Amino acid sequence: MAELVSAEMVANVHSVVVSVGDHVESGAMLLVLESMKMEIPVLSEVSGLVSEIRVGAGDVVQEGDVLMVIG
Amino acid sequence: MTALADRPDDTRATADKPAEPSRPPREQDPRNPNHRLSALLDPDSIELVSADDRSGMLAATGTVHGTPVVAFCSDATVMGGAMGADGCRVVVDAYERALDDGVPIIGLWHSGGARLAEGVLSLHSVGQIFEIMTRASGRIPQLSVVLGPAAGGAAYGPALTDIVILGPEGRVFVTGPDVVRSVTGEDVDMLRLGGPEPHGRRSGVVHVVSSTEREALDRARHLGSLLGSQGEIDPAGITDVDLGANLPESAKRAYDVHPIVTDLLDDDTGLELHPKWAPNITTTLGRFGGRTVGVIANNPLRLGGCLDSTSAEKAARFVRMCDAFGVPLVVVVDVPGYLPGVGQEWDGVVRRGAKLLHAFAEATVPRVTLVTRKAYGGAYIAMNSRALGATRVVAWPTAEVAVMGAVAAVRILHRRKLAEVAPELRPQVEAELAEEHEQIAGGVDRAMELGVVDEVAQPDATRSALASAIAEAPARRGGHGNIPL
Repeated sequence: MAELVSAEMVANVHSVVVSVGDHVESGAMLLVLESMKMEIPVLSEVSGLVSEIRVGAGDVVQEGDVLMVIG
Repeated sequence: MTALADRPDDTRATADKPAEPSRPPREQDPRNPNHRLSALLDPDSIELVSADDRSGMLAATGTVHGTPVVAFCSDATVMGGAMGADGCRVVVDAYERALDDGVPIIGLWHSGGARLAEGVLSLHSVGQIFEIMTRASGRIPQLSVVLGPAAGGAAYGPALTDIVILGPEGRVFVTGPDVVRSVTGEDVDMLRLGGPEPHGRRSGVVHVVSSTEREALDRARHLGSLLGSQGEIDPAGITDVDLGANLPESAKRAYDVHPIVTDLLDDDTGLELHPKWAPNITTTLGRFGGRTVGVIANNPLRLGGCLDSTSAEKAARFVRMCDAFGVPLVVVVDVPGYLPGVGQEWDGVVRRGAKLLHAFAEATVPRVTLVTRKAYGGAYIAMNSRALGATRVVAWPTAEVAVMGAVAAVRILHRRKLAEVAPELRPQVEAELAEEHEQIAGGVDRAMELGVVDEVAQPDATRSALASAIAEAPARRGGHGNIPL
């Protein structure tokens, strides 16, 4: 089942660490958000293939926005 | 008013398991309260203190890891564990016994709620359980383990206690799926209504989710021992480890605080409460130098470690529980501020955040604060600051205590000056101003001068510094209950 990775809070996308087609393990870093003057890594909660990346560095994301799809 | 819950038979029939399997005889039924109480208590320590009859409840005394406790258990083999006058009497008597002995009480729950056949008498009786739970609140530790459905009155029983553990078949709700469907039209099963996912992550009703019934009982045993036999702290026996090894190199980079909490506590003693609910703050019971302590830590990995309304409420309840039972607190601070947003304000971050201020300021147990990286703004005050009465505030040498980060501060203080600087030079000027600002307003030195930080400790000497602070403080205990905030 596809796992949606969403933003926990309003943030800027600092960098995207993985690419479409990558296999990621649970706990792997997917991307880094910047919010509250902090760089906050977003970690995968599942193992699977990165099937879709919906954001790029510099984008502003709102709480709940889907950033990536795994599996 | 409608009944507190669906009839027990109804709730069972709408479980995620569609049909009730045929049951073995009561002696072999795993739901038999004798089996469950024996599995909870140390071998051969169990002594029944109620009749093994059809009251729907069974109570016993015994020990967990050698700590004396009183325990009671729903009898799910009789009317799905429904609670009538006799069963409720068993629970009230068990509470009187635990209060007399001054020992923790552990309730094992598997009940569809009040016995409808007994009418208002059953409601009155369930209400008497609530009354004595509240009377016992803050006086003796109360633990609940929900092993099956706990509906209506059986849901509010555990909810009034200090810590709720959920087994894999545990389901907690006020009104069952049938009533929800008939009133609101929502089609939901017991798992999604009141299982581990909703209560572990969304509602905060459950403190600990377990994957097996055995594990749920083991967690209750561990917590019973932690709260019932707290021990003495032995600063001489403390070995120091480098807690700073868990920090990332960049001060801007978020990280998971769990390894710091694990390394701070004695090996394999920590048990985190509410790990998935409000994960931007962690609340953990464990042992430190042999003594039970509660550790509260901001977790920068989640929401940047910001305080928000839910995390403030979670921490406030934990502080009050620890204070009520005389459990010293260690507060690990790395907090950028309160989470901004319309949602937060409308969610009552002012009202709910005030609970944390109140809880810390009121607490009389030894409570020491460790600032690892930064403590900014209003969140600095809330995290057991000197002003709120911290026993001792320890900071690492590179920690920053300030109204806000230095760069953010100079952007406001020197807005005009910065506007006149060419954009390509701006970061450098900002950095210079920030360094200057830090010296007069931010760093640890200034905080020491003001007396809001008592001591600078190296990360590899922090365990012993915290242990001495706790050992030297008078052992006090708050004189209040533990309302489920």
